[in-house]
Amino acid sequence: MDSRIMIVDDEDMIREAVEILLETEGMDIVTAAGGEECLRHLKSGFTGVILMDIMMPGMDGWDTIRKIVEQGLYEGNVIVMLTAMDTPDEKMEGLQEYVTDYITKPFNADNLLDSLRYYRSLLKTENDRA
Amino acid sequence: MTANNIVMIGVSTGGPIALKRLFADLPPLNAALVIVLHIPTGMDYRIARSLGDLASMPVTLAEDGEYLHSGRIYLAPGGYHLTLEGNSRIILTEGPRVNFVQPSVDVAMQSLLKPLRRKRIIGVILTGMGKDGAEGVRHIKAIGGVNIAQDQESSAIYGMPKAALETGSVDFVFPPDKIGQKLVELLSGPANNLSEG
Repeated sequence: MDSRIMIVDDEDMIREAVEILLETEGMDIVTAAGGEECLRHLKSGFTGVILMDIMMPGMDGWDTIRKIVEQGLYEGNVIVMLTAMDTPDEKMEGLQEYVTDYITKPFNADNLLDSLRYYRSLLKTENDRA
Repeated sequence: MTANNIVMIGVSTGGPIALKRLFADLPPLNAALVIVLHIPTGMDYRIARSLGDLASMPVTLAEDGEYLHSGRIYLAPGGYHLTLEGNSRIILTEGPRVNFVQPSVDVAMQSLLKPLRRKRIIGVILTGMGKDGAEGVRHIKAIGGVNIAQDQESSAIYGMPKAALETGSVDFVFPPDKIGQKLVELLSGPANNLSEG
């Protein structure tokens, strides 16, 4: 089964822009306006690639990843930071292993699509590959 | 045949793409390649499988007690520290995180011993946050090895390569594809040009 993409960003314009880009590639998109909504999607069974913003009001991207790990919701997902922060802050320490990639905005659309195709391929099961 | 030469690669966030670029056109090498990537259990075998699909050398998850063989790529599994015994046998251990991570690049690299004459040790530090691997490359240099770091432009996060470079123990700085070319070059020339042996 093809994995889905979740866009976690508090900015409507970013969510919409990324959604439009990925939909043209036929990718199945879920959006979340913040960490709480991201966790709700995961608890409802979402698996796939999570494009995570860092700076969000309330629970930021790092807090959200920490919750994902603590609540046992990581399995079957790839987390990619999609952020305006050039370099990550110290809150990333200890979460490195759960952050597969770090892409800064503004991003190159072709590079983002190439990366997402690769990360989706990582999530394919042996049955999918057969 | 057990490994004569060892290439140890330390990498973190941005690593799967960097490794993909490194191995895409890399021919089989006269060395055992050990990758220490910061990944959790459950993702490690997926990365190994994916790299195995594109690399010219077989890729497996490293197993406790197995011996390194030339022309093979070993990926450290998540949740353990990887060390080498006698530069030839893989040991996986649990224990506290080092530099906030497990497996730790520093732990793996610092287990390397001064190589016998005509054998080569090469350390490679790719993209990632933090400074894991910096003490490792310092150690590799001290035992007569050679170190390569990923350049800033191609690094998703220029933390680990920068920290490695700041030790003064890095010999070459390249993007991943050029690192592959340098490995080919280093492993095809006379070993004692590189190692104090």
